[in-house]
Amino acid sequence: MSQELTRVLIESGVKIALFFVIVLTLIAYLTLAERRVSAWIQDRRGPNRVGPFGLLQPVADGIKFLFKEAITPLNAYRPVYLLAPALIFVPALVTFSVIPVGPPVRLFGYDIPLQIADVDNGVLIILAFASMGVYGVALAGWSSNNKYSLMGGIRSSSQMISYELAMGISLVGVLMATGSLRLNDIVQQQAQRGWNMFWQLPGFIIFLTAAFAETNRLPFDLPEAESELVAGYHTEYSGMRFSMFYMAEYANMITASALLATLYCGGYHVPGLARLGLSGNVAALLGAAAFGVKMGAFLFLYLWVRWTLPRFRYDQLMNLGWKVLLPASLLHLLWVSLIVLKGWV
Amino acid sequence: MRVDFFLLIAGVLFSIGCIGVLIRRNAIVILMSIELMLNAVNLTFAAFANEGQTMTGQVFVFFVMTVAAAEAAVGLAIVIALFRRRKSTDVEDATLLRW
Amino acid sequence: MNLLIGLIFLAGAFAAVRAFWPQRQAVFGLIAGVTGATLLAVERAALLTLQFWAGLIGFIAILSALLVILHPNPMVSVLFLILNLFCVALFYLFLQAQFLAAIQVIVYAGAIMVLFLFVIMLLNLRVEEGLHLTGGVQRPAAFVLGTAFAGVLFWAILHRRDRPFLEPPGSAEGFGTARDLGVLLFGRYLFAFEAASILLVAAMIGAVLLAKRRLQ
Repeated sequence: MSQELTRVLIESGVKIALFFVIVLTLIAYLTLAERRVSAWIQDRRGPNRVGPFGLLQPVADGIKFLFKEAITPLNAYRPVYLLAPALIFVPALVTFSVIPVGPPVRLFGYDIPLQIADVDNGVLIILAFASMGVYGVALAGWSSNNKYSLMGGIRSSSQMISYELAMGISLVGVLMATGSLRLNDIVQQQAQRGWNMFWQLPGFIIFLTAAFAETNRLPFDLPEAESELVAGYHTEYSGMRFSMFYMAEYANMITASALLATLYCGGYHVPGLARLGLSGNVAALLGAAAFGVKMGAFLFLYLWVRWTLPRFRYDQLMNLGWKVLLPASLLHLLWVSLIVLKGWV
Repeated sequence: MRVDFFLLIAGVLFSIGCIGVLIRRNAIVILMSIELMLNAVNLTFAAFANEGQTMTGQVFVFFVMTVAAAEAAVGLAIVIALFRRRKSTDVEDATLLRW
Repeated sequence: MNLLIGLIFLAGAFAAVRAFWPQRQAVFGLIAGVTGATLLAVERAALLTLQFWAGLIGFIAILSALLVILHPNPMVSVLFLILNLFCVALFYLFLQAQFLAAIQVIVYAGAIMVLFLFVIMLLNLRVEEGLHLTGGVQRPAAFVLGTAFAGVLFWAILHRRDRPFLEPPGSAEGFGTARDLGVLLFGRYLFAFEAASILLVAAMIGAVLLAKRRLQ
């Protein structure tokens, strides 16, 4: 094994482990944040008993999930039933590997990008794995052998397909402005010409709406609408298997927020940072922190919307997806192509 | 790595898809076998594109994928229509137009 | 040594077939088979060769293709077809076609297969429907003809001219990226591209008309 290869392997291994730990911790504390924020919005206190400010609550939840009995329904199709939680959790985590968290850091004499894989087709890989998420939900619904689960699964697969279209087309606007599928190039281009969020506002709003629908969060959480479907696709799951779905929901939220920050809000770019003349590593860390702040803002938006807006009806959801968002994204595409063609940006 | 390896794999996949179309009577599985065959063909196109270092083969893969998407959509719509009429997805049950 | 690896692969394959066959669960056998093969490969430092990975992927591709056509439950067929499509996507990466690999996952695995899944869920086909095989002469004939066809294909592949069909046009820098494909699609193949878009529109209208319960 050559020395270069060893270095790359060690570097990637460390980065993967680091990302994994960070995202999992983030998931754990996002569950706490959700409960605290919801309490705050509803003028309650929320969980504050386990540890200072309830900070150990996720640990307690985790232990509880581990000790619960994992039940398999009698007529469930067992291999698929066991596979489904993994199928929904893995794509959410894998997507994170192509997102650039910060500019390269210089450590031990090497330039180390704060990104697991800087791929040419970054955006396409994200789309590919986003479209994989539907299998977990649909298969969980199908294999549980429960009519509510099945309905949840069918709803989610049609919902995710419908909103993927609008999401993809609004994304094309960003790609046209950059002329590249590499996420680092998209961030660099935004640093030069201003964030996409401002001059592609319609695309941003469409992408944001579609991201809510893709992650099955309120106001689009029809696949698990408890007033109609008990708990939708994960009705029959218990214990650690249920918590996989629970964690996957938060993992999806984190990935979607990171994507929104990268594609539309300049990623790790901080306006005016270059003028301060800070040295490489400090600037890189500040960039990474800025990325964290932007991601956090979107995560808060997710929580805020969930506890503010009521749920859509299913026909309203489909109408919004096909009759409003899809034509709007096509119009937006025309607008962006006009701007790019004329060179106004 | 020789291109022959990919051609062999594609050949095996195509044959399997071919057998699938012939032995299965479930219309959905037959459609899936057709997808299998289209995929094998795509693999040979990509392999030859690599061998000749021309992009034309990859363009062909792109068009085959388009046709596969159209075929799957229409095929599955026919399966749904068939299921409404006959309560079955078995192609043996759809014999009305048989001579 | 190669024989041993082959045997372990076969054991893993057997376990995989058993795991997804109704009433049989041998997931642990599958895991053991794959781990054993990987350990052996590491020992022989084969893990770093492209051949090893290509062989493994090809093996999984063929196995999953067999399960697609032989499993009685269409839902499991869908799952193994997805696995097969992933294997082919990995082969595209071997063949310098990164863009095609991504498109393969997005279009095939992300859209077409979801459509299959959706239809199976909508019709709610259950496992008990069993393996619908054609009876009589057709089944053995299918196997004989299929194997003969495979034989002809292999004969053709093994006896083809050994030199490249087309001369490589110099360097392959940026071969297979979205840009290269886009230049061709919107240049030389523009007419075919537009025709494909018309085909998609026609297919979409046709699908809606066919699947609609009643037309007004």
